[in-house]
Amino acid sequence: MSIISAQNLTKIFGSGATAVTALDHVNLSVNPGEFVAIMGPSGCGKSTLLHLIGGLDRPSDGKVVIDGTSIAEMNDDRITELRRRKIGFVFQFFNLIPVLNAIENAALPITLDGVKPAEAQKKAAEWLTRFGLSSRLASRPDQLSGGEQQRVAIARALAAEPALILADEPTGNLDTRSGDEIAGLMRDVAKKYGRTVVMVTHDPRIAAYADRIVFLKDGKIVDETLLERNNDGGAAIVAQKIREIGD
Amino acid sequence: MNLQLTLAVRYLAGRKLRTALTTLAIVFGVVLIFGMNTVMPTLIAALQANVQGAEGQADFTITNVAGDSFPADVTSRLQDIDGIRAFTASLERAVNLPADFVDNNPARPDRIMAVNLIGIIPEQARSIRAYPILEGRYLNDSDTAATVISQTLADAFSVKAGDSIRLPSISGLTELSVVGILPADIGPENESVLVTLPQAQKMTGESGNVNIIRVNVEAFADMARRTEIQGKIEAALGKNYRAGTLMAGEEMFGTMELAQIALSMFGALALFMGGFIIFNTFRTVVTERRRDIGMLRALGATRRTIIGAILTEGFLQGLLGSAIGLLFGYWMAFGVLKVAQGPLSAFVNIKLGTPIVEPGLVILSILLGVGVTVLAGLLPAWSASRVTPLEALRPTVTEVEFTRQTGRGFWAGMVILVLTVLAILSGQSTLILPGGILFLVGLVLVAPGLIRPFVSLFGRVVGFATVRQGIGGLAQSNLTRQPSRVAVTASTSLLGLAVIVAAGGLVTSMSGTLLDMLQDSLGSDYVYLPPSVGFWGSNVGAAPELAESLRAVPGVETVSTLRFASSQASGQVVSVLGIQPDEFQRVSGLVFVEGNKSAYEEIASEHALIANSVFMIGTGLKAGDTVELSTSDGQVQYRIAAVATDMLNAKINTVYISQDHLQTDFGNTEDVFIQIDLREGADREAAGAQIKALGENYPQFKVISGVDYYSTILAQFKAAFSALYILFAILAFSSLIAMLNTLTISVIERTREIGMIRAVGGTRRQIRNMVVAEALLLAAIGATFGILGGMYLGYVLVTAIDVIFPMGYSFPVSGIVAAIVIGLLFGVLAAIIPARQAARLEIIQALRYE
Amino acid sequence: MSVRYAVLGLISQKPRHGYETRVVFESLVGGDENWEVKPAQIYTTLDRLEEAGLVERSSDLGEGEEPSRRVFQVTPQGEEALQEWFASPVPSEHQRDEFFIKLIIGVACRQADPERLIQTQRVLLFQEMHAATNQREEYDPHTEMAQILLLDKAIMHLEADLRWLDMIEMRLEAIKEQPLPEPEIRRRGRPRKGEKGSTYPPPEKVVSPL
Repeated sequence: MSIISAQNLTKIFGSGATAVTALDHVNLSVNPGEFVAIMGPSGCGKSTLLHLIGGLDRPSDGKVVIDGTSIAEMNDDRITELRRRKIGFVFQFFNLIPVLNAIENAALPITLDGVKPAEAQKKAAEWLTRFGLSSRLASRPDQLSGGEQQRVAIARALAAEPALILADEPTGNLDTRSGDEIAGLMRDVAKKYGRTVVMVTHDPRIAAYADRIVFLKDGKIVDETLLERNNDGGAAIVAQKIREIGD
Repeated sequence: MNLQLTLAVRYLAGRKLRTALTTLAIVFGVVLIFGMNTVMPTLIAALQANVQGAEGQADFTITNVAGDSFPADVTSRLQDIDGIRAFTASLERAVNLPADFVDNNPARPDRIMAVNLIGIIPEQARSIRAYPILEGRYLNDSDTAATVISQTLADAFSVKAGDSIRLPSISGLTELSVVGILPADIGPENESVLVTLPQAQKMTGESGNVNIIRVNVEAFADMARRTEIQGKIEAALGKNYRAGTLMAGEEMFGTMELAQIALSMFGALALFMGGFIIFNTFRTVVTERRRDIGMLRALGATRRTIIGAILTEGFLQGLLGSAIGLLFGYWMAFGVLKVAQGPLSAFVNIKLGTPIVEPGLVILSILLGVGVTVLAGLLPAWSASRVTPLEALRPTVTEVEFTRQTGRGFWAGMVILVLTVLAILSGQSTLILPGGILFLVGLVLVAPGLIRPFVSLFGRVVGFATVRQGIGGLAQSNLTRQPSRVAVTASTSLLGLAVIVAAGGLVTSMSGTLLDMLQDSLGSDYVYLPPSVGFWGSNVGAAPELAESLRAVPGVETVSTLRFASSQASGQVVSVLGIQPDEFQRVSGLVFVEGNKSAYEEIASEHALIANSVFMIGTGLKAGDTVELSTSDGQVQYRIAAVATDMLNAKINTVYISQDHLQTDFGNTEDVFIQIDLREGADREAAGAQIKALGENYPQFKVISGVDYYSTILAQFKAAFSALYILFAILAFSSLIAMLNTLTISVIERTREIGMIRAVGGTRRQIRNMVVAEALLLAAIGATFGILGGMYLGYVLVTAIDVIFPMGYSFPVSGIVAAIVIGLLFGVLAAIIPARQAARLEIIQALRYE
Repeated sequence: MSVRYAVLGLISQKPRHGYETRVVFESLVGGDENWEVKPAQIYTTLDRLEEAGLVERSSDLGEGEEPSRRVFQVTPQGEEALQEWFASPVPSEHQRDEFFIKLIIGVACRQADPERLIQTQRVLLFQEMHAATNQREEYDPHTEMAQILLLDKAIMHLEADLRWLDMIEMRLEAIKEQPLPEPEIRRRGRPRKGEKGSTYPPPEKVVSPL
């Protein structure tokens, strides 16, 4: 049973002569535990697709079904609840509330759900420690490096134990090394902690961490590919490559 | 919710300067409301204490409802009332002492400006309260010109038992021999001078009369019993008398209440403007925080949570502002009372104390402060909740939305403006009054749409001035980029400056009219002036003999006197002034609103009176109606022959009757105010000298020439007007805060931009000038609107007051000039800090700022 | 070429025999899955190095004539040659790209869908990068840093190739429009009369008087 099912998803911005079709009848299915990367040139609609899946925006046509429930019929309060409990978000920048410290930020989804801050922060602290930030719990965002901020964001995305993590260019603002770290972390989130991760990125290096890549162009899915192959095949390919470089 | 509180506190603490500025707006409003309303009750309490005199230990105090004196035999009605243990009648009058009467030292300021002359029946009085004698002896029933005074008074006069003192009385100065000394009076009341009842009656011309009966009853602590006895007393005495612990309303309370209302409205206006500033700030805050708000929504915060967060912030600011406002309000009241002591004593004898804090007022002020802030935050909070999660990822430009809003509001405002202008032209006063407020509302609505054209218009001027600076264009474009914010700021300036212009209009009109009136009313050559003009009841006057002697002076053509009695009509306290219609007309004059000079004849021949406008409003009567005045003997009917106003008595319910009627109905024959006109061609020097000489025996009067009197009054009015101007300038101060707010926010928002300008070669000075130019543009816009609104508002005010006090509308040139100067001045002042901050930005840091 | 110098370098580090050299070399490059070197290649290289006088048999550790056990050591000329190798940079050969050829031929023949071509290539590159990333993750940075570096290079080149594919995609229309270059084909043998290089004058051209 897929955890995400986007059917005939369409989004048109503007109207009349200046209308722009960001998504054109897109069908996408994601299974639980998958790590999917959505790639494509800028303006191809990949962010829009993510926004629609996450209930941040409403489609012009088609529907999104999360874990068996269609979001189209939900009112604002119910979608908001979905975002608190079932979906975790990681964005490219301005992820954290500047006036709250790391642990308060990470605990936000739980606190917003009505849990007392002290208890919410216990949960958040667990995740922050898993991501190596146990010494930075009380730091404000402006005291953290870019990579640390993203790790806090990921901890926050996981704090409420959602089934689905949506990431929009999570490494876009980071240097290569931090980017690799975060991408690796996202993979752990999928493999080690069993969530479904859907990530939009334009960076091939980061996309390579995923199990599956969905290629978007001009609002349509043009291709999909599985990346994970059996071990031998993969190694052989690499070996060939290195040899070619060597000659 | 805990999260909302945390967010609110952190956000407020994160932008300390801005939090301080906006809280200041609330502080301001609360200071005015709380401060002013604390001053008033203190004044009233002091007045009451003064008026009451020594209460001693009486349970009940019986007085005439009109505050007037009554025959001593009224006490016989109390003989048989069950429950009364003892009673005593006395005649008590405050006697104003002329300047330096006590110490004869003009250099030293007077401490004692009045004394309470208390005529008692010595043995009877002792049954009510104790009179512990320190030195000498108590009064005997057989004493005549003897007195017992307090230690304080004895010290002031530098006398001991056995010496004598002199006091003003209707027959001139009376000498009293001091037979005993009492302990110093505690409390703010006047010092007491105890004499026997007959002696007091002689000194005040109140033969056979008393004005207070003090009663002690048994079981005073029992509320029910007390009320029962009170009822019996009042039944026995009749409806002309009241038994209570407070005197019936004095004339001054009426004015006090008016003043209190006016000042409360003033404070409310300041608070309203404060709310405007808060609204402005919150709007900006929401715009700045769109990303954070969108983020919270993306993470699952409901719209209600967002609204709650913003409102919590408002609530905290309101609380903080109210708390600080209360503190400063108390200090202000303290200061005002201290400062007011001096000038006020020139009018009335009062010793003001420290401010009295009423818990009810404290709670009300807090509620208002918090309420206005939260209210101001409602709309921004609502629009914050409308921010979509996508804003977190892709902040959109809000201007497109804004223009659409301007559309609706703009046209609504235009419609209102057109309607209100039509209202002026219609000349209907009922339409004009609400029109004034609506006009301002219309201006506020129209403002945003007019920002761009205004800015380009004024911008050209600024551009000329700064053409070599190269930054004029920037300042302009900075303003047009956020017209809504500019509009709200300009609106605050608008309100503040409109009030100044309106006040200017009022003042200009009033002075014009008043000066004319003064010339008419007080054109007499010489005046015998009592210490308290207007509050006649506290003056000791002169017996008619003085006026006769004055008439006998060669060269004197007319002597016109005023006599006074206190009365009640239709539940209102009324000053009854007795005039000699013929003489009065010749030296003075009333300005008739309804009726004409033939009314003078009418009041002489029949039981008729001329009433002033305040009286007519207060009682709701019309010319031609009959009104009942209460006297010590009962009610007397008078027909209202005309309605007129006299500058001296404009503020208090006043009616003018003939002196004959005053004598028959009220029993008063004292002259409290005398005006003297000389014949043409008379020897002014000689006459003047004689007039002054006669006055020496009556130190309660100051003899001045008409010209001097005119200047004195003029000076007083000027002082009052200046005070008024200052009050309104304080209101305009709010606009300063608003502009400071906007400019600061504007600089913060454009940090990167400023860094960019500096990086490509702009100098610090150019940056500074850019901010100043922006400020001036802001101020110019506010001033323009303010002047427009103020002119209308001024017209409205004049029309309103015209009902009480007829005056014509004069164009408020001074007001407009003041508004322009203040507006631009505030603009420059507001720019100082932000300009410095902008110029000081470090380029690198500015460019990194996000 | 580099295998030759790698062997020289390994022997310069310390005298080794052929078998040892091969084993060390393979572990350096991360195992024979990455870069397999046949034993014969090593021995041939060693012989050639000996002929060139860059290595010599060491007389210390003689263990008979078995080729695998013959121990070599470096000569002074060998050291010199090594230094020359260190001093000279390694030219890249990025212009030799099979995909490039495939694409252009495909466009010219009109027998391939260029977009399909690109996407197929892209998918493969992604798979390769995924595998390389996985492999890199498994190395221990404390002991296998060299191998990590090698994989980093692979990943970076793969990334570059992918970006290049994106670029091609953007300019595909322009590529389609431009024809295959048709350079002048040189005739082999003697030049004809009148052609470049001939010594005879060209035949007379009859110009009609029209």
